[in-house]
Amino acid sequence: MSEEPPVVFVIDDDASVREAVADLVRSVGLRVEAFGSPQEFLHSERPDGPGCIVLDVRLPGPSGLEFQRTLTKSDIHLPIIFISGHGDIAMSVKAMKSGAIEFLTKPLPEQELLDAIHTGIERDRARRKDAAVVADLRERFATLTPREREVLALVITGRRNKQIAAQANLSEMTVKIHRSQIMRKMRAKSLVDLVRMADALGVSAEGA
Amino acid sequence: MTRDRASQVWTSATQCMVGVIGVAALTFVCLRLQVEFATAGFAYLILIAVLSLIGSFVGSVILSAAAALCLVYFFTRPAFDFTVDLPQDLLALAAFLTTSIIVGGLTARLRAGVEASRTSQDALRRSEEEWKEVFEHNPVMYFMVDAAGTVLSVNAFGAAQLGYTVGELVGQSVVGVFLEEDRALVRANLAVCTATPGHAHAWEIRKIRKNGTVLWVRENAKAVRRAEDQLIVLIACEDITERKRTEDALRESEAYLAEAQRLSRTGSFGWRVATGELIWSEETFRIFGYDRTTKPSRDLVVQRTHPDERTAFEQFLAHMAREPADWDQERRLLMPDGSIKQVRVVARAVRDAQDNLEFVGAIMDVTASRRAEEQLILAREELAHVARVTTVGELTAAIAHEINQPLTGLVTSGHAAQRWMAAEPPNFDAARRAIERMINDGTRAAEVISRIRAMVRKAPPRRDALDINDTVTEVITLIRREVQRNDITLHAELADDLPQVPGDRIQLQQVVLNLIVNAIDALKGVTRSQRELTVASAADAPGGVRVTVRDSGSGFDGRSADRLFDAFYTTKPEGMGMGLAISRTIIEAHGGKLWASPNEPKGAIFAFRLPIDAAHAVLADPVPADPAS
Repeated sequence: MSEEPPVVFVIDDDASVREAVADLVRSVGLRVEAFGSPQEFLHSERPDGPGCIVLDVRLPGPSGLEFQRTLTKSDIHLPIIFISGHGDIAMSVKAMKSGAIEFLTKPLPEQELLDAIHTGIERDRARRKDAAVVADLRERFATLTPREREVLALVITGRRNKQIAAQANLSEMTVKIHRSQIMRKMRAKSLVDLVRMADALGVSAEGA
Repeated sequence: MTRDRASQVWTSATQCMVGVIGVAALTFVCLRLQVEFATAGFAYLILIAVLSLIGSFVGSVILSAAAALCLVYFFTRPAFDFTVDLPQDLLALAAFLTTSIIVGGLTARLRAGVEASRTSQDALRRSEEEWKEVFEHNPVMYFMVDAAGTVLSVNAFGAAQLGYTVGELVGQSVVGVFLEEDRALVRANLAVCTATPGHAHAWEIRKIRKNGTVLWVRENAKAVRRAEDQLIVLIACEDITERKRTEDALRESEAYLAEAQRLSRTGSFGWRVATGELIWSEETFRIFGYDRTTKPSRDLVVQRTHPDERTAFEQFLAHMAREPADWDQERRLLMPDGSIKQVRVVARAVRDAQDNLEFVGAIMDVTASRRAEEQLILAREELAHVARVTTVGELTAAIAHEINQPLTGLVTSGHAAQRWMAAEPPNFDAARRAIERMINDGTRAAEVISRIRAMVRKAPPRRDALDINDTVTEVITLIRREVQRNDITLHAELADDLPQVPGDRIQLQQVVLNLIVNAIDALKGVTRSQRELTVASAADAPGGVRVTVRDSGSGFDGRSADRLFDAFYTTKPEGMGMGLAISRTIIEAHGGKLWASPNEPKGAIFAFRLPIDAAHAVLADPVPADPAS
């Protein structure tokens, strides 16, 4: 699977810390992009690959936690590793609750930082893959006719063709044809496969 | 009585006079007709009997005697002589006298009986008229009703008061003059009266006039049994509309007053000293937390008084009873639920008409406003405290941040360098750049430290003549809340007449504050009853002033005494280890000395000495210029 190499985004207003962290990440062979402020990051062109953010909680301007919310709103789902000069428990709890994968205090423990970065990249990669699968399924689903979608909703409830025909007011033969069309268009290998796809798409068994 | 006597004498005299004339005329007629003794006697007897009807018994007796004498003189033999020859004439004379006296007596008695009966009838008639007058025109409404409530009679006044004539009411049901909604009550009252004949009942009720206006009356009623065994109810009622109106007005004004008292949380009271009688308003009951039905007493007041003030309060009351004066004071009440109420009591001593001492006063619940005041003071203190403490806190936090940043860069770059060199093949260029950054970071950290030291050590901007006691007292005021909150007993032993010292008040206060905060932290480790903190000032010869902060806290290890003042040395989990280092720098910048020693039996003593002039400055070890050492 061809994929952009992972990138680590380091955001810290202190040039010395920013440079050191970026260099450390680079030394383990990862791509790094460093920014002095969240705004700089938001305005930058980012490569379309997996990655994670290393963010100083106490930045000038909006706080790190606020920045995290802004990202979610902007549909940026990069995992965040918080670093802080003197993090208190309350702040770290808040950060972890809102989805941070790690909260580290300075001076930074090297191995923990690198582990967290790898975890973050892996998590982002998995998330991206899921998102790609869902996008693909959505494309397939878009090719279904309204009638086929209706039948699909009934099929995934596990009903027999006869029952579906009665409910959808169709002949049993027509249902069979629709059903084979659905299986073909969705590229489903079995009924179980189809049910899993419907689940990922959020198609509910309406009218059941 | 005398009039009666006089009229009696007058009638007797008339009777005698007419009698004498009558007797003379009869005698003359009888002599002319030449009647005999017996006939004359009967004629006299008739005259006496007739005259006794208009006169008295005495008059009759006198006339009888006169007639007897005439009979003896004119009609017995010998005639025209007072002698009597024949014994039978004597007998006849005696019979005449007896008969005439008896007739006189009987007539008199008969007449007295007739007279008496006539007088009593007159009196009865007169009294009846009087009573009728009273009944009709007395300004009280009288009703007489039967058991069913039908009006048997009503007085003219009663009818007029209701706008009716007597005729319009008699024969009608009495409930008609009451309001619709009260009629059931009227019937019930009538039933009660008829059930208990002879017992008086009273009630207040509204009546309605013919024209629809309403009046309030007080009715007194009683059922009595008439001769025919029939029960009737007598009702007397007086118009109390005016009184009711006054009462309502009074009640209304009382209600306003009560409301005003409730809103202002001010109750009123009266205290009659001689009898010990207390009068409380509703709000006073509420403030003391007693039910309205309780009888107010001095004991109740004492019971609510805060135990700490009880004795003093009782003494005060006793004193006031002896030497009355107006008073205005604040007291604390301890309520049954354990809450404390702050009340202000204002009272004035007055004398009533009998010259009895009485206190009239008001009691105000000022708990809420006092609490607000206290909170305001606390908030102000806290603000001042925060402002002061943040100066120290911010400084240390800033220092920590300033140093932590280059340290982070240094450590991280170190790791990066290691990795670049361990790589296959090693990237020496990258490693060199990392090491360059490390050197820069190290230099930067050192610069931060030397900047701080320079900042603190540089000649203090102010050298005012300070009263060290004022300086210390201000800090104690600032920290008072922390001291109280941690149940610490704070003793301030400040010596009088201390010389002034030149110095920077804010800086020195930060030192004192720092020492006290350290002491408080140390005291948190010991049981609450043993938390003692002493702040003392004293003259320190020669030419110095010494301030000592002594605590009974956990103390410090003798071996660590040397390191106490080192930067970043701390025994507190949250500490920065900067406080004592900065404090020592400040004191030394003032030409003084700061040191620590263990307290006996436990705890620590921190003390500093300040010179009163440069000549007495302590020649401290020179502060190393190199920040790294």
